Amino acid sequence: MNCWLATGAPGGGYDAISSGNATGSRNDLITMPATEAFTAGLPVEVGQIDRELKKLWDASGGVMTRASLINLAVYSEAPDSLGRNTAIISQITENHACRAIVIAADPESKESGVEAWISAHCHVSQAGRKQVCSEQLSFLLKGKQCGLLPNIVFAQLDSDLPLYLWWQEEFRPPIDPQLWAWVDRVIYDSKIWRNFGEQMRLVEATQREARQRIVLCDLNWERLIHLRIAVAQFFDHPATHHHLAGIKALEIKHAPGFRSTALLFVGWLAGQLGWERSSAKAKSLGFRQKTDDGKQKIKVSLLRKEGEPISACRITTESAVFRIEHKPGADLLDVFFGRTEGRKMRQLLPAGKNDVVELVQEELMRGGAHQVYLRAVEQVRDLL
Amino acid sequence: MTEKQQPNPLREGLSTKAVPQPCAVVIFGATGDLTHRKLVPALYNIAADGELPPAVAVVGFARRPKSDEEFRQEMEEATRKFSRQTVRDEIWDGFAKSLFYHQSEFGDEAGYERLAERLDRLDKESGTRGNRLFYFAASPDQFETIVQNLKKAGLNKARDGSWARVILEKPFGTDLKSARHLNRVVQSSFSEDQTYRIDHFLGKETAQNILVLRFANAIFEPLWNARYIDHVQITAAETLGVENRAGYYEGAGALRDMVQNHLLQLLCLVGMEPPTDLRADSIRDEKVKVVRSIRRFSEEEVGIYVVRGQYIKGAIAGKSVAAYREEKGVDPQSQTETYVALRVRVDNWRWANVPIYVRVGKRLPKSGTEISVHFKKAPQVLFNRESQSPDQNVLVIRIQPDEGISLRMQAKVPGTSFRIESVKMDFHYGTSFGKASPEAYERLLLDAMAGDATLFARRDEVEEAWAFIDTIEEAWAEKEGPPQLCDYPAGSWGPEEADELLARDGRTWRRL
Repeated sequence: MNCWLATGAPGGGYDAISSGNATGSRNDLITMPATEAFTAGLPVEVGQIDRELKKLWDASGGVMTRASLINLAVYSEAPDSLGRNTAIISQITENHACRAIVIAADPESKESGVEAWISAHCHVSQAGRKQVCSEQLSFLLKGKQCGLLPNIVFAQLDSDLPLYLWWQEEFRPPIDPQLWAWVDRVIYDSKIWRNFGEQMRLVEATQREARQRIVLCDLNWERLIHLRIAVAQFFDHPATHHHLAGIKALEIKHAPGFRSTALLFVGWLAGQLGWERSSAKAKSLGFRQKTDDGKQKIKVSLLRKEGEPISACRITTESAVFRIEHKPGADLLDVFFGRTEGRKMRQLLPAGKNDVVELVQEELMRGGAHQVYLRAVEQVRDLL
Repeated sequence: MTEKQQPNPLREGLSTKAVPQPCAVVIFGATGDLTHRKLVPALYNIAADGELPPAVAVVGFARRPKSDEEFRQEMEEATRKFSRQTVRDEIWDGFAKSLFYHQSEFGDEAGYERLAERLDRLDKESGTRGNRLFYFAASPDQFETIVQNLKKAGLNKARDGSWARVILEKPFGTDLKSARHLNRVVQSSFSEDQTYRIDHFLGKETAQNILVLRFANAIFEPLWNARYIDHVQITAAETLGVENRAGYYEGAGALRDMVQNHLLQLLCLVGMEPPTDLRADSIRDEKVKVVRSIRRFSEEEVGIYVVRGQYIKGAIAGKSVAAYREEKGVDPQSQTETYVALRVRVDNWRWANVPIYVRVGKRLPKSGTEISVHFKKAPQVLFNRESQSPDQNVLVIRIQPDEGISLRMQAKVPGTSFRIESVKMDFHYGTSFGKASPEAYERLLLDAMAGDATLFARRDEVEEAWAFIDTIEEAWAEKEGPPQLCDYPAGSWGPEEADELLARDGRTWRRL
């Protein structure tokens, strides 16, 4: 539940978004006045944020625990983004305590100005006894003031904690090295990119600028996590491991708009299994794999089908078929394995959801660099 | 020879471990409490998380006549009651098909032959590929019979390309002699690398985090020695009484029930040297060195450094509770200890002259297991010249409940004078990581299926621990008449003698 701990009129005037938390759930705020809808919080002067935050915590009377593992800055230029992102942060903070810095920018505005709000998202902890709260600082930047972005982010960071920047827009040159040098992980969704190659070049240039420090976290890649786990587990066992070298065909059904997701999946298999593109021609989906007898062709087909981003995946080898289906709305994957002559097995595995909160939560659970992602991108860069 | 698990290139970068090989899990004692409350719910949760092999069979082995269907219904009821996740029908339906019941007396050889045939059939029908995991959830006095009959039926040896493993639930014997005997019996059929001795404390997230805390943080290890540490306290307190375990507990007591296994395992994790790598034996090699270094007590020292207690009538959470001797199934003249406190010395360079105080008790005011590391006080200069002497820095590792770590340090009280107060920096797993940790049994079952013995006790660890415990038990037995047993009211923090144990050294027990 979104709340602020001082009295005062709620700021904002943004679209009201329901919290989705039923009264009496573990995320209810017990002691504080709360709003029924997500708004940006208590309006504050930008220069007074620290003081107002302190007042906000003092007013809690020590009944709540402030928690923060990361700084999560969210940047958007969409008109309704402040309310929407506040709702998202409220859900993310159930599992990932953070200081959220939510920035809505309107660079085209003729007006110039900055408005700020503070609020806190409080949830009952796993142990069930404590109210655990994450702070949210919200900013609306208009016109020329959009150039203040680095300053705003720097000034509000919870010190010593890593900075995750969730960039909800396409990247635009010039990249501000001052800002990006501070970012530990940049989160984006390549699905919304109109020109993957150009955007990726910008991201990679940024990464170089930051001396490779930034970890690239693509939510489009994260969409594949459960599918990748399901496919990987087919080949864990010594009895099926050898099939990796004998893949003849790969068929993927993807929803309209999710071709890039399907291509990343192809890139993942190609990168991890050492496939080569069979033709230097761009847009060709043929691959080859080295075998003891030379090179085996792998037929890759992408088919459009309404439903989940990736609704089916079929891997065919000389003597076996591995098939995964994701029915519309289901949170389980139907996983089949069958030898041409032999046993067939079926299993249900977690599917996850194509939901931005879940994708970001999955991403936040992970650590380390995404080498495998970069390898996958490299395989299909010109197809994306 | 088992089939070698080759690295799967598709696993790179994924946060989940490789799914273990298909296998049949045979649970001896399938109608018991452990199976209902822990084992089957844990297996269900592993399935729901997608980490169970696609081909698995769980065979409950017990005396009572029961059909597969009855067993499935019973297990469904238990899982719905005890699982950490809500049971989903579609997952349960698939999982339930892998549950089977095998009725036999533990001592009936023919029952094991039928079991062997059934497992062979399951290999063909379910694809479990001859891999067997035998879980001994039966009473320990049945272990020998079960092991011998498994061997007679040829079930201790896996066929080529498969494996057979055995998981033993504690207690691993009641003293060194019986532990050695049990180990010999088990090893007459299963080699050490086939044997997994389970201590569920080691499956807990915080217990595993002790190694990370110590060896992944540069600030602690330089201070983790006799030069900077004054003493260590390890506490396992519970509000519960003996409940329905009187039969077992009367013969065991707190020392055997808790100290020999759980608390000494925690002591090892706190006291061990950094292992060369994270392989199971590298870690266990270091742990066993700690147990070996624990100074053995003379008979006289047992009287000085070990306190036995038993709870008398008192109150827990405002409600009157009976004395131990009044509990159902307990001898009214029982001399069994429900509380024990001891001062341990670890004779190595790191821990020279650092006392480690261990206490465990039933019917204490609060439940909680924790390790507290008490650092030496800062030198008596500057602020310490003031009338009040600042407290020590204390690092607390909470194992359960509310798993986490806190550090007590000194801070100046705001004002014109230099008044110093203790403040606490606190890390709670539940606050920082919203995602619930898997239950200890989930982790341990998965590890056993995958052949990872890191979190299981090795034979030498167990035997060394008993060798130490035996010095105490023997000293108690040597005494004329029953050994001293100090009363403590239920709901108190144990007998006064336990406080005196620390008071003699100028210390006090940490308040939980």
